[in-house]
Amino acid sequence: MEKHTEWQRQIEAEIEGELSLADRAVLARHLASCAHCAGARASHLELRAALASASGDPHARVVPKHDIGRRGVAIAVILALAIGLTGGWLVHRYWSAPGAGSLEGSRAAIVAP
Amino acid sequence: MRRSWRPERVAIVAVLLLTQGVTSRVEYDVTVVASYGGDRRVLATGRVSGPQETGLRLALHTDSADVAALFGVEHPAESTFTLVGDFFTERQLARSRRGLPLIEQDSYQRAMPLKWGTRARIFPLGVPRPNVVDSLWVEIAVTRSPTGALIKPSESATVVDSSIGMSLEAVVRPRRAVVWLTLIRGDTASPPRRLDLLVDAAARTIELPVGARGRRRLEFALARSEPSPFKRDRVLALDADVVCLRVGEPGGTGPVRSTCGRLNNVARRLPLEGDDTLVATISWPGAR
Repeated sequence: MEKHTEWQRQIEAEIEGELSLADRAVLARHLASCAHCAGARASHLELRAALASASGDPHARVVPKHDIGRRGVAIAVILALAIGLTGGWLVHRYWSAPGAGSLEGSRAAIVAP
Repeated sequence: MRRSWRPERVAIVAVLLLTQGVTSRVEYDVTVVASYGGDRRVLATGRVSGPQETGLRLALHTDSADVAALFGVEHPAESTFTLVGDFFTERQLARSRRGLPLIEQDSYQRAMPLKWGTRARIFPLGVPRPNVVDSLWVEIAVTRSPTGALIKPSESATVVDSSIGMSLEAVVRPRRAVVWLTLIRGDTASPPRRLDLLVDAAARTIELPVGARGRRRLEFALARSEPSPFKRDRVLALDADVVCLRVGEPGGTGPVRSTCGRLNNVARRLPLEGDDTLVATISWPGAR
């Protein structure tokens, strides 16, 4: 069982293109003699194919990774700042200490006729 | 019997007027007015008058605010003066999460040059904005008239609408006071003795009968009370008519006893050295 787990890690690495030629040869020899690991590899490949199809690229060689990039980070920071500032202003407006308006405007005034 | 104004009598009157100075009487005519949807309604009226230095203490109570102010006349000239008001306001702004009122306190001074007799408007909670229809204000007209004698302060007020509370008080710092003295020893009391004292003047020594045949000499002086430690009391001059009667042995020997109070005709007991007790009643001097 433990042995199959190790081979499945090798299968995942092979699908990701991370195995050397020598390791791929060793894995191919094992798959030829192990129906369980061969079935697992087929399942992995079918799952990757379904994901690639769902992401709009059914002919992809590997599953595309989601790349956020600098632009996405900048947009996320600006959005977070805008939401924070708006929320802070709303909290100050409605839940902070009462007494709106200027102090002088609330004070008594003597008006000559 | 016919009276004649002989030259010596005229001279005496003239000398008296010159030595006393030409005194004048100042009068504050107060009207509290509310405007509901442009409809003007008088809520309360009142009048306070007294000597030139008389101030007006006005207290106004509404559902959401308490306004207290001390008005006075400064820089009096032939036709103009400056109306000065020291305000102390408490306004309910909101309620806390526990349901208790949150109150905002404020203290400040306002001044406005006016002509005698003109009716100034005082907006105690600030001048209303242009689009606000309902408002409350106080109209005060101050007039001055000469008087030939020293006069006592007087005050009167009428509240027409019970939705507000208003009180008016004349504020005058007394320059002299009448003190009625009775000395008690055991179950005997001396006949009341009237003493006319100037405030912050030198002490006067008098002899009072005490007991069956005894007599006791005491020294009496009037002084102003110490300023109140509370800002509101100082701003509104709540201790203006409080004086302290100091009683001691002649020549400054022995301890000096003191009792302080308003000029309100209330008898105050002051234990002296020995078994004697002095009962003192301080009041305003009568008009002369």
